[in-house]
Amino acid sequence: MIILDANRLEQAMQRFAGIVGEENVWRGEEAAHGYKDAFAPRDALSYAPRGAVAPASVEEVQAIVRVAGELGIPLWPTSRGKNFGYGGGAPRMREVVMLDLIRMNRILEVNVEMGYAVVEPGVGFDDLYHYLVDNDIPLWISAPAHTWGSVLGNALERGVGYTPYGEHASKVCGMEVVTGTGELLRTGMGALEGARTWQLFPYGFGPSWDGAFMQSNFGIATKMGIWLMPEPEHTLNLAMAFDRVEDLPLGVDALRPLKLDGTVQANPSFGNIIRNLAVRAPRSAYYQGSGPIPADVLEQARVDSGVGHWNFSIRLFGDKAVNQINAEKVKRAFAHLPYEFEVSEWHRGEPLRGSGSPTPTLGALGVVDWLGGPGGHLTFSPVSPFSGAEAWEQYTTIRGMYEDAGFDYYGGFTAGQRYLNHISMVVFNRNDEEMCARANTLFSDLIETAASKGWGEYRTHTLFYDEVARTYDYNNGALRRWNETVKDAVDPHGIIAPGKMGIWPRAYREGQS
Amino acid sequence: MRAFAIAALPVLAFAAALPLAQRAQAQAGKSGQELFAERCAACHVEGGFGTRVLSRRVPEGQAELEKRETLPAALTIAVVRRGIGSMPQIREAELSDADLQAIANYLEKRL
Repeated sequence: MIILDANRLEQAMQRFAGIVGEENVWRGEEAAHGYKDAFAPRDALSYAPRGAVAPASVEEVQAIVRVAGELGIPLWPTSRGKNFGYGGGAPRMREVVMLDLIRMNRILEVNVEMGYAVVEPGVGFDDLYHYLVDNDIPLWISAPAHTWGSVLGNALERGVGYTPYGEHASKVCGMEVVTGTGELLRTGMGALEGARTWQLFPYGFGPSWDGAFMQSNFGIATKMGIWLMPEPEHTLNLAMAFDRVEDLPLGVDALRPLKLDGTVQANPSFGNIIRNLAVRAPRSAYYQGSGPIPADVLEQARVDSGVGHWNFSIRLFGDKAVNQINAEKVKRAFAHLPYEFEVSEWHRGEPLRGSGSPTPTLGALGVVDWLGGPGGHLTFSPVSPFSGAEAWEQYTTIRGMYEDAGFDYYGGFTAGQRYLNHISMVVFNRNDEEMCARANTLFSDLIETAASKGWGEYRTHTLFYDEVARTYDYNNGALRRWNETVKDAVDPHGIIAPGKMGIWPRAYREGQS
Repeated sequence: MRAFAIAALPVLAFAAALPLAQRAQAQAGKSGQELFAERCAACHVEGGFGTRVLSRRVPEGQAELEKRETLPAALTIAVVRRGIGSMPQIREAELSDADLQAIANYLEKRL
């Protein structure tokens, strides 16, 4: 930790104000409360920032970075700050100034013919959705469970949605980045002045850097191209609920061939019963005792609510005739299970709600009210092989750890093509210090146990960057050392998001040692 | 006609995007009711997440903010800036003081 000198910080804030206007810089409590982790598992102000500055243009970002480099003031970029469960917009540590990019909220281009958009960091999923709908543009967004967040920020954090374009990081094509010295570069084909294929061909010439600016602190993304899915003629949804917990492996193994051969292009998610119950009512509606809900109570809640222990939908997107053929293939793949699909269809021209196109929603935030108090959640996200046996081992291991620690297991498996994102949430009451402590301990134990079994997290909460980064330890941490080498080279002042993903600039590493 | 529309859309799209960039200034001309509908209604109308949560905590009929018998502006401002319960705080860069004041005044006067 490097403590910021108060005089130097104030000097920087005054110079930032000269760049963006006094009305767009914040100090003290205003900054701390504005950018704290709203669902913090410990004192939120203990890792809230010392200040904040909100530029409105690329040129202002460059000017701020140059001042920060000159004065040694670390900046923590945030797009919209809605990465809830992973720390929101909060920084890794208190001794930073937030670089809030929410005022950079222009949709710079939507190309209908080529199916892409170019957005600034402050553009939310809701903004892009409304823009496409209001202008009758036949392209669909893909969005995560809630739509309050940034299109750019979510893709750079490798967020996941539920359409065939749901692996958001893979749909990024071309970025503009401000470097640690305030220079401006464009990735891929954008490096060619006047390029006509910046958002069309993702690789460019030579090393491809888009991936290096995701989940990293090597630069500040100020523009991003994102491919958008052409509106399909038809969607067909096959929903199924499993009455028995132990049927998860059957479902996973039935789905895998359909994902591998492309029959199912979207990302179905097997959600457990509590994920389903939590959007209907708080926990007290089902159980008033302490500790995890007993199995018999959960079974009764399942019967009473008419849900499954696992609930999922396989949605097919495309031409109606093709969807109908593929639906029969899906049904055959699941025919050995003792359940029926509930089938629904959507045709172009009908209201979008229910189509599979994301529509604005904050419903997923319901989880934070599960315990009925001021809730918080920590999201634990290991990746599983796309195998029923492997998913079952991961599920039983992790659920057991949740319950041993006194928590309900809330989670699910979202299908990629060859992997499953196993996303679970430790839900706690922020006013209950003992429960918060248990949540933190459980989270650290989960990281350690998962790593010992060869399971790594694809994303984590700000407070646990170092712990997760340490588990990626092949060859004595060769990847960490590589990241540090790159960090020192591209951010010589060490001012961009120190500690992000466990990557610390040299000065901090030496300070730590 | 369709081919023309497709060819022209990227340009139109860019032009139509400009008001979004100028929102900070444009918001000043909107009423508190309009701003509430734009910025708060996703959660705080009937059926919204915020209304559902509040319905478990406040007297019957008081969960929808626009139907509250009493809602002091100072309380709205404090809750928005600091957050409360399941609601995260909303910072000034996202919602200006002027817009928040207009929303808070609108909710307070619905007595």
